[in-house]
Amino acid sequence: MSEFLQIYAENWSDWWPQLVPAMWNTVALTALSYLFAVVLGIILALGKLSKIRVVRALCKSYIEFVRGIPALAILFLLYFALVPLGIVFNSFTAAVIGLGMNQGGYMAEVFRGGIEALHKGQREAALAVGMTPVKAYRNIIMPQAIRIVLPPLLNMLINLLKDTSICSLISAPELMLRAKDIASMSFRPMHIYLLIGVLYFTMAWPLSMITRRVEAHMHRGRRSTV
Amino acid sequence: MLEFLPFDPWKAVQFSQVLLRGAIMTVQITAGALVIAIVLGLMMAVIKTSRVRVVRFLVDAYIEIFRGIPALTLLFILYFGLAYSGLQIKSVPAAILGLGLVGCATLTEVFRSGFEALHHGQREAALAVGMTPIMAMRNIILPQAVRITLPPIGNYAIGLLKDTAIVSAIAAPEIMFYARNLVTSTFDTTTIYVLAAILYFCLSFPLARIVSRLEERRRSWQ
Repeated sequence: MSEFLQIYAENWSDWWPQLVPAMWNTVALTALSYLFAVVLGIILALGKLSKIRVVRALCKSYIEFVRGIPALAILFLLYFALVPLGIVFNSFTAAVIGLGMNQGGYMAEVFRGGIEALHKGQREAALAVGMTPVKAYRNIIMPQAIRIVLPPLLNMLINLLKDTSICSLISAPELMLRAKDIASMSFRPMHIYLLIGVLYFTMAWPLSMITRRVEAHMHRGRRSTV
Repeated sequence: MLEFLPFDPWKAVQFSQVLLRGAIMTVQITAGALVIAIVLGLMMAVIKTSRVRVVRFLVDAYIEIFRGIPALTLLFILYFGLAYSGLQIKSVPAAILGLGLVGCATLTEVFRSGFEALHHGQREAALAVGMTPIMAMRNIILPQAVRITLPPIGNYAIGLLKDTAIVSAIAAPEIMFYARNLVTSTFDTTTIYVLAAILYFCLSFPLARIVSRLEERRRSWQ
């Protein structure tokens, strides 16, 4: 055991300065793709509830398709398969777009669930007191829907953080890729990957705690109203 | 003859044959990991109902840890890390084990919420008529909980099927692995990755249909 830890002590000054920027890249990748996914998810959810048939069908088939294929397949499609067609992304951009496109499909369902969970009367009442449909969405529907969708959205953030690791397979500069590089240079895969596991965990755990708090809070709120 | 197509159909057929070989492995890995995740997850959910604090804490710790570590990292620990430490696991067992261990944390939560969804009177009644706690669990709680948890387990299985794509990184010969190999030998990236995506979709879409059927059925008798 002490021998095992000795390795960390010996190599720490070499490894740590490489891992810190990689962690920041992972955080940036998570944040950007999450933002992309939220925007896309809202657009798709509204599209799926739209009155125009073509819009509804388009959004629905996008959601079905994206939910049916692995995130890795989307990343490979964006990064490798578009090159012969003349569209070249750098790996980081492809990672942001790919993860965003993937999570956006799931988020759309969450948002739609949130919007649909609200009683229809809410919207009708808002329109009846003279709000425009946009105002009704912004001031009545959205604030309530967010309460419903927040717990699953937070869970998705945790999943997204972990999913960024697969972007190493299209060589996007993040934690897992750096870990692979260090492992192949130092021949210490067990040490590196365990350390990386701990690092991912320290990033995900606070989020996980917050999620549990929010879940408990929302649950309490709902019970008291009934 | 078919020049108007943006790809070579004859090649696409050849590629599909190779990818289909991978699809069999994808299904096998999914099934293996699913079995591990269900068995371990159910065991841990039952253990979590225990009154012994330390036991509950251990299960919680397991869930938290595996919720916070990417599956890819765990696969690398199992495949590259252990090999370096002298314990060589082949890529397919490592893939099944790794995905199963991660899934176990997810399914423990699913089963736990299934138990909680049942009215506590069920358990109390079972104990009142003289069943032991184990009998109550096996004959009263579990059969009902399984029905409740079937749709979320199905959803998990779909997610798992797609997650198997990452095990190509530890060289388990599934769809993505064959796709990457084909790419390095033919450079026809667009056709191959589009085919791979379609293949995954063909595998997961029927499952998704079954699950939404199950969900509808559940809604109807609730």
